[in-house]
This record gives sequence, structure tokens and C-alpha cells, in this order.
Amino acid sequence: MQRYDYLKAIAGDVGDALVVSAGWAAREWQALRSGDGNFRPRTLGLASSIALGIALGLPRRKVIVIDGDGAFLMNLCGLPTIAWQNPPNLIHLLFDNQCYEASGATETATVMGADAVALVKGAGYKHACWVKSPKGFREEFLKAWKRNKISFIAARVEQGQPVLPPIRVDELENKYRFIRHIEATEKKGILGPSDHRRR
Amino acid sequence: MDSKKAAQIIVQGLKKAGLNFVATLPDLKIVELIRAVDKDPDIKHVPLCREEEGVGICAGASLTGKKTALLMQNGGLLNSCNGLTTTCLQFQIPILLLVYYAGDLGDRGFTTVGSVTEPVLEGLGIRTYVLRRTEEVEETLRGAQILAEDSKKPVAVLLTKSVLGVK
Repeated sequence: MQRYDYLKAIAGDVGDALVVSAGWAAREWQALRSGDGNFRPRTLGLASSIALGIALGLPRRKVIVIDGDGAFLMNLCGLPTIAWQNPPNLIHLLFDNQCYEASGATETATVMGADAVALVKGAGYKHACWVKSPKGFREEFLKAWKRNKISFIAARVEQGQPVLPPIRVDELENKYRFIRHIEATEKKGILGPSDHRRR
Repeated sequence: MDSKKAAQIIVQGLKKAGLNFVATLPDLKIVELIRAVDKDPDIKHVPLCREEEGVGICAGASLTGKKTALLMQNGGLLNSCNGLTTTCLQFQIPILLLVYYAGDLGDRGFTTVGSVTEPVLEGLGIRTYVLRRTEEVEETLRGAQILAEDSKKPVAVLLTKSVLGVK
């Protein structure tokens, strides 16, 4: 099973959640759940921290981060920070393909047994588990959604993805659309006026 | 001036500049400032384990409308360079960088990090203001935050020992 098979299993269950995902997962997610509520960072490792910032800024909105093992390992120090803040609205998903796939597929440390669930539990997450199938993934995801406490769900996946259309939205457009989407759905102003008059 | 009083003045300056979300990682010289941030009911405080995650956290919070600052030592600024480049600069997300200027005038033990601080910020294209006088705190913080929002980029304010009330 590939990551796409797992993401497909929950794509209909995320409502108006804001979703943060980087790398190839971002294209998969955009194909499965289109729209402007998806933010696609470009810094390896920072997706989980960006998602934490969004979750703290909008405490009543569900926020989902789709992490990969390479990114996850790069930002281990972000895990205790997330656990310390303990945002109830954050769901942290991890797809472990045991390699830096987008960077040429050399191995990551998970191939030698670094265990993401053990790592997040050690960092202070109370709810974390491995799942073995898209069906089990969906079940855990729905539990996490209802639990309303920070939850971590991890799956080992095969490398690869289906042929999908490229995303034709660059970083700036992604940012503006994402902010406008939050403004519209949360009914709040975020970006200031741009006409340089006194505010 | 003692460091507690100095911290109060800086926190009031941050609040007047509109900031309401501050991520921090300690240095001995900014510990009173971090305590003052932590105590303030109008500021959300996020203690960090490493500075670069603070770039991500502040960027994410900025997307939701928070006015964010990252308070750290200049060694932490060096830790943050990729996040600043590929998140803040690439997406044009403003963050106020409040950086304790270790290795500045009269400081022992940090001359290496001190000597590369301003060149690194210049290399990143991040506008930088060195804050030395208490009387300039409010105006500098407000001005830096306006610049950050208007340029949609991080702006750095380097905090010196004199303005922090420490020796």
C-alpha cells in the first residue's frame, strides 16, 4: 500500500480541516481534497511546527499535518514543543516509507528501527499508534477526530504514488488563498488594507 | 536599570506594536524578558526546544492573523536560517526577530557568533536594527513591526545588554 491509498481512505472525513503537507504528499492530498484549505510548506521538517502555529492561532478549527519520515526525523525537537502546547485540535499523521523519497530515495533512520510512535510518546503525546491498513487508518482517524486531543497516527507505506496532475499554485498564491480561505470560513480579517491609508 | 524593569519596558513595547504571540528559547541575558512574556496575559508564549521550529510556529500563527515574534540568542538565529529562507522569505510571511546580540561590544566568549550575525542577516536580506537605548525601545519595536508587515518579511531587532539591563 502507498501513502495515497491511506490518504484516500480519509479524504471524505476531514470536513473543513486545514491541512498542512509538504513534498509529494501535498500533490496527493490536493488531488484528493481540492480547495484552498491546504497549505504546502517548502522547508523539510517544518510542516508539523507550522501546523502547531495554525492550531494555536485557531483553537476551534481542526488542523491536520501530513508528515513523512524524513521530515519527521529532521524536526524531532519540535515534538516536545507540540506535546507541551497540547493543542486539542491537531491531528498528526505520519507516513513512513523509510526513505527520503523526493530526494532520491536513500534510506532514513527508520529503516534501522527508529520508531515514530515511540518517539512521539517519549516526547509527551498521549495518543499515538501504528496502523496496518487504510481501513485501520480510517478507524483511528475517526477516533482521533472525536477524541479532540492531540493524536498521532503512523503507517508504514511503500514508495511511489499514482500519476497526478501537478499543482499550478506557487508559494505566494498558496499563502494568499489559504489566508483568504481562513478569513472567509472563520469570518475574520487577517490581511490588512493595502492602500496605505491610515488604518 | 535592572533587567526586570527593562523586560517590562520591552514587553510593553511589543504590546504597543501589536504583538500577541511570542516563541522563545532562553539565553541568560533574556531570561527576565522571557519571564515577562510568559506572565503577560495578552501574549501567547510558546517555549521552544530549537529555534528553527519557532520560525514554523510563528509562520503558522501569522497565517491565522497572530502578530508574532521569535525571541532568541543570535546562535539561534543561525539555527533558523533555512526556515527563515524557505518559509518566511519564500512565502512572504512577516515575523519580528528579537535577537539577543551575544558577542556585541564588551561581551566575552561569543565573538564568533557576534561577528557573523549582521552579515548573515544582510545576506538573508533581513532588515536589522540594533537597539541600544531604552528610550528607543517603543519606537523601534513599533517601527520594526510595521516594516515586517508592510514588507511581508522578517525584520530583526538586535537586543543589546544595555537595553536588557544586564551586565
